[in-house]
Order: sequence, then structure tokens, then C-alpha cells
Amino acid sequence: MEKKLLKKDKLSGIVKKMAADKTLYAPVQDEDNVLFKVLGPGVEPLVAFANTKNAPKKVFFPHSELLVKYTRSPKGMVFAAMPADAKDVVLFGVRPCDARSFALLDMLFDQEKWKDPYYIEKRKKSAVISLACVQPPYASCFCTSVDGSPTSTQGADILLTDLGESYLVEFLTPRGEGLAAYFGEATPADAGAEAKKKEIAEKSAAAIQSKIPGRAIKPILDVSFEHPFWDTIAGKCLACGTCTYMCPTCHCFDISDEIKGDDGVRIRNWDSCMFPLFTKETSGHNPRTSQKQRWRQRLMHKFKYYVDNFDAIACVGCGRCVMSCPVNIDIRKIVTDISKL
Amino acid sequence: MEKPLQQIIAENPYVPMPVEIVKIITEVETKDIKTFRLAFVNKEDEERFKYIPGQFAELSFYGKGESPIGIASSPTQKGYIEFTVQKAGVVTSALHEAEEGTLMGVRGPLGNSWPIEFLEGKNIVIVGGGFAFTTLRSLINYMIFEENRKRFGKITVVYGARSPGLLLYKDELESWAKRGDIDLNVTVDKGDATWKGREGFVPTVCKEVAPSKENAVTVICGPPIMIRFTLPVFFDLGFSKENIITSLEMRMKCGIGKCGRCNVGSKYVCKDGPVFSLAELDKLTKEY
Repeated sequence: MEKKLLKKDKLSGIVKKMAADKTLYAPVQDEDNVLFKVLGPGVEPLVAFANTKNAPKKVFFPHSELLVKYTRSPKGMVFAAMPADAKDVVLFGVRPCDARSFALLDMLFDQEKWKDPYYIEKRKKSAVISLACVQPPYASCFCTSVDGSPTSTQGADILLTDLGESYLVEFLTPRGEGLAAYFGEATPADAGAEAKKKEIAEKSAAAIQSKIPGRAIKPILDVSFEHPFWDTIAGKCLACGTCTYMCPTCHCFDISDEIKGDDGVRIRNWDSCMFPLFTKETSGHNPRTSQKQRWRQRLMHKFKYYVDNFDAIACVGCGRCVMSCPVNIDIRKIVTDISKL
Repeated sequence: MEKPLQQIIAENPYVPMPVEIVKIITEVETKDIKTFRLAFVNKEDEERFKYIPGQFAELSFYGKGESPIGIASSPTQKGYIEFTVQKAGVVTSALHEAEEGTLMGVRGPLGNSWPIEFLEGKNIVIVGGGFAFTTLRSLINYMIFEENRKRFGKITVVYGARSPGLLLYKDELESWAKRGDIDLNVTVDKGDATWKGREGFVPTVCKEVAPSKENAVTVICGPPIMIRFTLPVFFDLGFSKENIITSLEMRMKCGIGKCGRCNVGSKYVCKDGPVFSLAELDKLTKEY
């Protein structure tokens, strides 16, 4: 695919032009936080930031999403037509770890047998412009331990890499090339630019200090479901679910109905395997009655079950759960400890 | 711009098909288990809803949400589908208040099914306890259907309930008893003044009936306590774990392996199950 060079001072104008034409999400300063949100007029998209506090998965898998509309007739429930298809969106400034989360979520939501039309429709109408991490953003980043890298292209349609004076613009997919017209001021990239990118990629990857045996624990997990180790991990867990809400790959959801008068909606909302009610059945039976079981589920889902089903670890190493856990439970330590069992 | 509903149903596994309750049968004397016969509002949905015994569907009720329920009818019964529902939670309680003629929704069929191809040509032992007899009833009606009967060997049924008033499908039990091609063994834990049938727990009756393991498969569904005491009987009779098939229940929402709720190890009960052999269950974690 095509590669170009773009002078760095041109980028802001290009992003703003895109934002004028279509819905564009970008990292923006919001009080103390950098948040991934719709870029409003006159707002500057950030390029110098570590990562957004919230994961961009919400663009394709919103916190709360309408699934079905219905009304009540004298005879009962009547299903209504649904709003038309999703609109074109651009996601600018997605970090490579988060772009990888889209590729991981695609595996689940776009399976051969059962397809999730809400997710797929939005994903299909989107273009992801990823921004390579030229220096490790946080001490808690560990993308290189879970099949990723600071310059990974997985899940992205365009990858931008800061080469100093210019960005290397790599158009990775037809969706990315669909945005080529916006980059009219860019010039063809030469071999020098490629070499420089390679050097930066190696330097950035080497700078990720935090390492975990991401793949190596799979065979251990295969035989450790009943291991007493699990008794040691969840003692201080508050079951707040913050880790799952911050996670770019967590995708569990609840479906519930709401009515007002004769109009009803069925919506799905993010849910969390950390919550006791998550698996509680009407009979009162609950297959996971302890936080230990729930923590085991979360870890197994990411490092064993997803590997079994899709040959991929459902963790991109963004470190959000590590940073946001109110009681400092660190998934990196747990994975490392498992490797020693 | 909006899409027409029929197009959405074809493309979207979350959107239910509209159905009407055409018949409600109160099954038990405690009145908390009813069979709902549902007819599709649109003919094309009936064509689309092609199911196999052992599958389930999500029932939608106005304002209440969805509940996953095993399909109690057999695909050989045309023009309607049936669900036998115990009044338990929000959706099923609302359903129990409903009258014939009510419009509601059905999403499915979901899950795998009883392994029909695996069962073909074999002697089939059906063991059911209490309310869990619903998808077994589907399988029995499927197997004894005229064109299907010759595809299966001997059919032995052991079905138990706590009392005569708690037996489901009483009319059908009577008609099956009159057939010469099912060995039907209905039992109750304790009979009443009018009960002339067998008394005794399901495991004991299975031991008495003692079906042969030769070319045989047992399909078993019931409360955990019944399963626990019945399995050793079949192990003693020499049945292998590959030839004992059961169905699991878990809390479910989406029914299509997305919402992350009903996994047992790497498998989703909604999508990879609910039907598993004991040999398959042995490979999964014991978290259900």
C-alpha cells in the first residue's frame, strides 16, 4: 500500500477538514484528562499525548445502544422498524494498542455463524487513523508482551509515524486509501523515510520496559482451573468493574427493556463479569459466587478462552486496568505469577 | 430513513419475530407451569424458524425483556411452536398473566440441538425429571413421527415427577402409552388416591428398567439431584460418557455467543451448547 510523507504542521488542518465533512473522533483535552471523543469545531486534536483515558471501542460498541424498538397495541407487543444504517466516521489518533482491540473485537462480533450487525455496520463505515507511539506513553504499557507493538498496524486503516519533521503516512487498507484525497499535500515517501521508521519502531518497542509472559501462560492455564493460586488474587478486589469498563477488549453486555407509555426499547449496556449478578440465575443458582471465580473468569477469558477460540490474547497491553484499579490489582503481576506456577 | 421489519429480521439476530399466543395449556396442578403455543404473524418467519429438537429461543414480552426457553414442540408439528414455561422471573411471570391472542416475540432458533444424526440407527433411552422434560418431549415427538420412526431403534422413556399432578403433557403420555413402539415408564415420587402408575424415584426406575447399552444412547434432562443419582445407574449399565447426552442451563442474554455471560470454559452454552455429551462436559471446567 501507498506511503507518503506529510509535514507535521499540515496534520491539524487535515484532521479538522475531515471533522467538518464527517463525524470524527479524536483525542482531546478535557479538563485533566485526554478523552477520545467527537472533535467539535475549533477544538484541537491532540497528537502529543500518552493515551486517551477512555478506550475508543465505544465508537463501535457504545456504553448503551438501541437494539430493538417496539410499541404496545391492544393485543400486545408490536416490533417497529429501526433507524437507518450508521454514518461514516473517522477515528483519528488511535494508539496502536487500541487499534488492535478493534481487530480482536472483530473476531467475536464478526464471526462466520453469528454476526453482530450493530458493531459490524459501524465498523464497516469507519476509518481508523492510528498514531504510532514514538515513545512509550506509560510505565504500565506492555503491548509488546501480548502480540502488539508501538507501531502495530493491526486494526488500523492508516498509520501515522512521527519521523521528526514529518509524519510517515501509511495507507493500509482500501478504507484508509479512501481518505487519501485529504492528504493531497503529502509527498511520496522515500527509502530514507522507511529506514527511519524502522529505526523508530525498534527504539519504541525496546522502550517498553514492562514485560509479561502473555502467550506462555496458556498451557499453564489449561491445567490450572482448580489451582489454589486463584484464592490469592481477588482478596482486595472491590468488584467495582472499573477494569472491564476501561478495557478496550472487554465486550460483555447486558440486554434490558425500558418502556414509557406504549413505547418500548430494548437496549444493550456494557456489563461486567466482575459483578456478582452477572451470572446469577432466576432460580438463585450462581455458577460464580465468589470474586475469586469472577477474577479467574476475567483472566481466563483474556489469556485462555480467547486463545482457544480465536488464537488471540484478548488484551492489548494498554495498561488502563492497571492504572485505574482503585485497589492496585495489577494484571501484569497476576500473569507473571501464573507463569511461575 | 427506516428499514422494513422483515428485512431487519432477516439480517439481524437480535430482532425477534412477531408471534401470537394461540393456545395456553396449564400443565400442572400448581398452575405455575404452562405451555404456550405460538403462531408466527408472518408466514416467512415460520419458514425461517427451522429448528431441531433440543434448541431454544428467546421469548420477548412487552416491556419485560427476554427469557431463553427450550422449544417443547417438535418440528414435525407444523403451523406453531410451543414453549413450556415455569413462572419464575420477570418475563415468565408476565407471560403467565397473558391471555390467548396476545402478541409477543420469538428470537431463534438458538443453540445446537440433540444430536439427531448421532442418534439415528440407535436405541434411544430418554430420561427426564420434572419440568426439564420439555425438549425431551420435542425429541420424542420427533422420533415417533411417522416418517422418522424407522430411523431410530428401540425408544425407552423414563419420566418422573414428584406427584401425579406435576406430570407434564398428560394427554400425550396417555397416547404414547397406547403405542406399541415406545417403552414408556412414567413414575412419581409419591402417588395419590387416583394414581395407578409406578411409584419411585427416577434412578431406581432406571435401574429396574435396565436398558441395554448395546447400540444405545441415553438422553437425560432433569434437576441436578436427579442427574447426580441417575448417572451412576447408567455407568453401571455400561454406558460410556460419549453415549450419555444432556443439556445445560445458564443465565443468558444474547443467545449468540457475544454477551459473554454463559461460558463454561471456552464454550458458550448458548451457541456451542446447550447440548453436550458427558465426555464433552468432562473436558470443560466445572463452573455451571
